[in-house]
Amino acid sequence: MRYGMVIDLKRCFGCYGCQVSCKAEHATPPGVFFARVVKRESGTYPNVRKVFLPLLCMHCETPPCEAVCPTGATSKRPDGIVDVDREVCVGCRYCMQACPYEARYFHAKTRYYFGAQGPTEYEAVGYAKHPTGVVMKCNFCAHRLERGEEPSCVLTCPTHARTFGDLDDPQSEVSRLIKERGGEPLHPELGTGPSVYYLPA
Amino acid sequence: MRVFADPFDRLMDDLQETARPQREWVDGRGLLLIAGHFLSGVGAGGWAFSSALGFLPGEITSLVVVGLSGLAHLLFLGRPERFWRMVRIRTSWVGRGFVGLNILMAAGVVYLVLRAAGLGGSGLASVVWGLSLLGAGIVMLYKGNVYAVCRAIPFWNSSLLPVLYVAYALRGGTALLLLFLPWTPLSAEQGLIEVLELWIGLSAGVCILFYLTIMANSSVGAKRSVEDLLRGRVAAAFYVGVVAVGFVIPVAIGILNAVTPVSMGALALVGVASLVGDFYVKYAIAKAGRYLPHVYQAR
Repeated sequence: MRYGMVIDLKRCFGCYGCQVSCKAEHATPPGVFFARVVKRESGTYPNVRKVFLPLLCMHCETPPCEAVCPTGATSKRPDGIVDVDREVCVGCRYCMQACPYEARYFHAKTRYYFGAQGPTEYEAVGYAKHPTGVVMKCNFCAHRLERGEEPSCVLTCPTHARTFGDLDDPQSEVSRLIKERGGEPLHPELGTGPSVYYLPA
Repeated sequence: MRVFADPFDRLMDDLQETARPQREWVDGRGLLLIAGHFLSGVGAGGWAFSSALGFLPGEITSLVVVGLSGLAHLLFLGRPERFWRMVRIRTSWVGRGFVGLNILMAAGVVYLVLRAAGLGGSGLASVVWGLSLLGAGIVMLYKGNVYAVCRAIPFWNSSLLPVLYVAYALRGGTALLLLFLPWTPLSAEQGLIEVLELWIGLSAGVCILFYLTIMANSSVGAKRSVEDLLRGRVAAAFYVGVVAVGFVIPVAIGILNAVTPVSMGALALVGVASLVGDFYVKYAIAKAGRYLPHVYQAR
């Protein structure tokens, strides 16, 4: 079993639904984005092209973040999910420098979206589970997977650009898409073996 | 260059960048890490030279400096109370540096105690001294490797960086000894230290030149970093701190000293300028770091 995701760049139209649903699911504080969408424009008028690139933790097969962690707080689970033990992390942020996908965020101190107004009820409950002084990242919504549900970004995507499944199963939808549509990971030259694949736009 | 009062606004701006600048290891409390890297290099280099010369004030100062570097590292951590967990040395250079720093501190103190007890010539003292040098070697070596293994930041991802950091650590060690000259002349070894300082300074300068030349012809992210150093947001720190104070002043006084002997105060100034340059090298290299771009499109 190796969880993985396929993102169809032809279907993604940059609605930020994944980004918002991820923030809602994990109640991540301001400045923390387990899932985000990068938008870039290329070309000159009238030949202009807009690119949307959804980013998240790639849950690499050989995660550089895990190798550099001095405490072992970052580890790879048998199902392929790379996770951070927040009770062991010392907050050295070495993993942030090692991750080529900028998927990690340091939670320095608790802050709220509405500043001086203080936390909303949702924030008061949600932020309580995020200790400060440690690094945070996407874990493929492991708590949802345990309930047999898909990650929140996959469920929310209105164009079904995201597909989630077992990369080790050749019959799975993710394996089929990668094979038939020529899925490629981000920065394959780094040899990290990402578990997130992109289908060409 | 835009200025943001709120780090959140700055992060939002950074996330729009094609090659996002790294800030965790240089801005805000990140400066403590740079200070820690600087002090650990100077302390380890200082210990290597002063213990080889048997120069007690230098040895004590070096260990104090190494201790201060440990403190700076601790204060940088998000969870300093968990520092004892950083012992995963199999793959982590931070873990190796932490262990090396502790070896240096512990063996250094034991060695000085043995010397004070009149056992400086014993076999045990030699073994402990050897251990302290091993610790010093690890401390000098680990910092460059910490940066060099980060493939996410192309500007750091170079095998030349550990060489540069070792060169600067050795130079920092000699610079530390030069600071003692006005008060505690090192008599016979003074000439040797002056030559070493100048030679290592020139070597470090050549190293930087090589490093920047290679990076300027490297990937997009590394090129952006070199631009930051030479013409952008890090240029002031680079030209003033690294080049003028850290290189031109020490080399000029060193050459002058070779022609006409200069005062002890001037040689101490060489030490101060070299140390300032050492700090700024670490600051500038960290500050210029940018993450690997995912979509190659100018902003």
